[in-house]
Amino acid sequence: MNLDSYSVTSEPYYSPTHNEVELFEAAYACRMPMMLKGPTGCGKTRFVEYMAWKLKKPLITVSCHEDMTASDLVGRFLLDANGTIWHDGPLTLAVRNGAICYLDEIVEARQDTSVVIHSLTDNRRILSLEKKNEVVKAHPDFQIVISYNPGYQSVLKDLKESTKQRFGAIDFNYPKADDEAKIITHESGVDLQTATTLIKIADRSRNLKGHGLDEGASTRMLIYAAELVAKGIPLAEACEVALVLPITDDQDIRNALSSAIAACS
Amino acid sequence: MSTTSTRGKYSVFPQNKVNEDVKQEQQILIQQGKKEFSKEYIPHWTLACDKLASAGYGAVIPLSYIRHSPKLVKHLNAEAAINLASVVSLAAIKVNRAAAEMLPKVAVIAAHDTKSMAGFITWINVIEELIKIAPESVLPVLERTQKILKTLTPDQFKSWVLAGLRSTGDDTLRQIQYFSFADPESEKWFRHEAGDIVYTDLERKLKLYLLALWNLQPPIRDLPPSLSPLSARRITISNGVVQVPEVFTGYHGVKAEQIFRAGLAHVGAHLKYSKTKFKLGKLKPIQVTLVSLLEDARIEHLAMQEYPGLRNLWLPFHEAKADGPQIIPLLLARLTRALIDKDYHDGNGWVQKGREMFFHPDNDFMDANMCRRIGSLLGNDLGQLRAQFNAKTYVIEPPYRDDNMGLWDFGDNQENEEDDKGIFIEATQMNKEESDDATQDDKNNQENEETEKQYHARESEEKDRKQSNVIVRYPEYDYLTGEERPNWSCIIEYFPEFGDSNKIARILETHTDLVTRITKLIQTAKVSLPERLHYQNVGESLDLDACINASINLRTGQIPDPRIYSTTERKHRDLSVLVLLDISNSTNDMVKNTQSSILELEIQATALLAYAMSELNDPFAISAFCSDSKEDVHYYRIKNFNSNYNSTAQAYLAGLRGKLSTRLGTAMRHGVKDLKSQHTHRRLMLVISDGEPSDIDVDDRSYLVEDARKVVRSLSRLGIDVFCVGLEKGAENYLNRIFGRKNYTLVNNLSALPARLTNLYFRLTA
Repeated sequence: MNLDSYSVTSEPYYSPTHNEVELFEAAYACRMPMMLKGPTGCGKTRFVEYMAWKLKKPLITVSCHEDMTASDLVGRFLLDANGTIWHDGPLTLAVRNGAICYLDEIVEARQDTSVVIHSLTDNRRILSLEKKNEVVKAHPDFQIVISYNPGYQSVLKDLKESTKQRFGAIDFNYPKADDEAKIITHESGVDLQTATTLIKIADRSRNLKGHGLDEGASTRMLIYAAELVAKGIPLAEACEVALVLPITDDQDIRNALSSAIAACS
Repeated sequence: MSTTSTRGKYSVFPQNKVNEDVKQEQQILIQQGKKEFSKEYIPHWTLACDKLASAGYGAVIPLSYIRHSPKLVKHLNAEAAINLASVVSLAAIKVNRAAAEMLPKVAVIAAHDTKSMAGFITWINVIEELIKIAPESVLPVLERTQKILKTLTPDQFKSWVLAGLRSTGDDTLRQIQYFSFADPESEKWFRHEAGDIVYTDLERKLKLYLLALWNLQPPIRDLPPSLSPLSARRITISNGVVQVPEVFTGYHGVKAEQIFRAGLAHVGAHLKYSKTKFKLGKLKPIQVTLVSLLEDARIEHLAMQEYPGLRNLWLPFHEAKADGPQIIPLLLARLTRALIDKDYHDGNGWVQKGREMFFHPDNDFMDANMCRRIGSLLGNDLGQLRAQFNAKTYVIEPPYRDDNMGLWDFGDNQENEEDDKGIFIEATQMNKEESDDATQDDKNNQENEETEKQYHARESEEKDRKQSNVIVRYPEYDYLTGEERPNWSCIIEYFPEFGDSNKIARILETHTDLVTRITKLIQTAKVSLPERLHYQNVGESLDLDACINASINLRTGQIPDPRIYSTTERKHRDLSVLVLLDISNSTNDMVKNTQSSILELEIQATALLAYAMSELNDPFAISAFCSDSKEDVHYYRIKNFNSNYNSTAQAYLAGLRGKLSTRLGTAMRHGVKDLKSQHTHRRLMLVISDGEPSDIDVDDRSYLVEDARKVVRSLSRLGIDVFCVGLEKGAENYLNRIFGRKNYTLVNNLSALPARLTNLYFRLTA
């Protein structure tokens, strides 16, 4: 099957924070299943896109949700006028055709769902389609990548130990201030000074993590704020819209954040 | 004044002569007074006057009434004037002549200030209550009526009086202190009622601000308001603790919030940039003041480089003008402004010199010694002006800045010499320890406690080894005012005593039949978030996968699976429970026909329940409470949510002893902090109590009941269920009132409690 629609044609902007590009390339070379950890909005998804482009492999992304069944990943029989036809799920598609399959927020999926990837993530590299009575051998180019945010999931939602131990992991965090400023200017078009101020503001909210905030402002949020500024919205207002209001409903925290933002500019 | 002249006559003239004079004066005044009343009220008023005159209170009281009460007609109406007589009479009987004499005069003032009949009635009712409950305090209140009513409305006055009565209990001396403003509490509540913004109103916001801006969490305490207007309070930093005035006098509304914020931003800058203490050396007081001033400017300069927006926060408080007499405090204020405000022009040579020296390009702003050097020189210059400077009366301006006592090493304290790290570093280190602590516990709700812990760590070692470090204050609801009084009652966590942990095992052994039943129940107990079940025989929706399979089977000639529905079910248990045990003194009572006390049965019941909960893997915590006045509500953690139900917890449970009283609301407020942080679908607080909420400093039976009711209602808003097991006969009334009809059960046969409690638990959580 032609996976052209899944290939990443133009270079996504990604600014490496460490040696994660080399690490991922090495992992891909031995087709090691990878787990990307890190807070929301720090660039995990962008990184996978970038790597798919760099490795020139198609990328199939599945956003996992709690009602997702194994059939949603693997595929199912569908009916048509003449009979039944098998329809490959996104995972099977990637396995057959040698794509990178990226399962975003895997913990959201039910635990029995994540078990179907087990046979793909050890040296067997096979996917068994029980309903179809078929065993699919993974294409040599196939790799599985999952993302996993250890922060905000409750204790109830965690990966099984047997799943965790099948992956290599790269830990992501918000980039260093200079890098982050570069990213913000590139993505939004604001000047470096505004970007630096935004990062200072983000650090203020990241200080409150664990004191009423589950997460501080992410790079993605900063880009949103910067985009508003680039469209002519005053900084304080842009921050209110993009950084303060979405993140908390607690009036005291909002007040503290807004005042801290006022101090930064 | 004629009253004093009348009094004077007592000593000079013979008795009958005096009586005649007084009567004459009374008659004259009555005739004058009558003019104020309309016809139908005159007989009533004269009757009231006659009653007072003939009641044997002496001459002065009736005279005062006759003289002043007609004025009430003008302000309010005739009835107010006539009714006043009964209160005057009451005051004469219950309090003393002085108060009774003063009352009519003060009533006129009150009538003028309250402006409305309703307001006046509120005021006079409060006075009447006060006469009955705390007669000794009536005079101080009357004397201050004008001051009080200038600031407070009659309703606020009522709240303030109630706060006084509630906080002082039966202690007459403390009552008098409160009502004569000799007790700092009094001023604090006065400000609170007056609607002034006090530090405690903003505490959380400001702490979060400090954390966000500087990533600092120093322990912050409030300074009680100063009683003398001379000693204006400033923020002070000492021994690593930041003390903030409860209120900045003269700042209201937004401005009040701004000054607290400016103050804490300034404190943050100190903690960040004032790394070493200055040695006092041979500096003169004016030089010390100047070095402090320059240091303030230096750290603010650095802070504003980092956070330019702080300038907008600080600048409005710098109000010095470039003209005016050359007295030192004014010059200091002008220099202060010149160092922060670029647009400020000052023709004074000394101020200009100070500014030039401070901003000299060779200065290294990271080095505090520049302040010492410049401060010494500028101080010498001021000395040549021969102007007076009194360091003792000098108060740092603008008011958001701290008193800078923490900047100096006075050399008189051994501790200081040994530890040259400086106070600010101490504070920052403390903050580090705190954050380490916080990573272990759930951080969200611990902020307060963590700082409290640090602050009290030293004190508690000396004081009471049994007392843990957690001291937290909670509001309490007063149904009479319909409002919560902030920071009213105080929880102190004590370490529970060890008992015999084998006792718990023995309890399980003696109740084998119960334990087996519990085990069976455990196996069937289910409670949780709904989960979708596929391939069901019955269900509310079609299961797509199953339908397709069935169709495929039909087409391929096989027998289709009829299970084509999906449904939802709660499968896993997902609840956490806090068991709150009342261990007040009354639990020591023996239960009829048994060898056990109520507490003994509580422990047995809890032991069985804890067994069930731990077998079910339900997260649970057990705490016990009793109280000894609002300032000392004991709270014992038997088991925490994150600790195991092990022999330590069991020994704690076995070691409980009944004592003191039952301040239920406060204990529930404290317990809920833990429960709130549990991420389960259901959260349940199970209260086991043997009696009505009560405490030694509360004689109003409804007060604590209404407070507890308020807590229960606020919990239900948080999605936390509260259920109470009552152990007292005839407790329906108040349990119904507190928890609501469906949320309590009464166990009349106490010996059945252990069995009942666990059953109840399964029923509640099924």
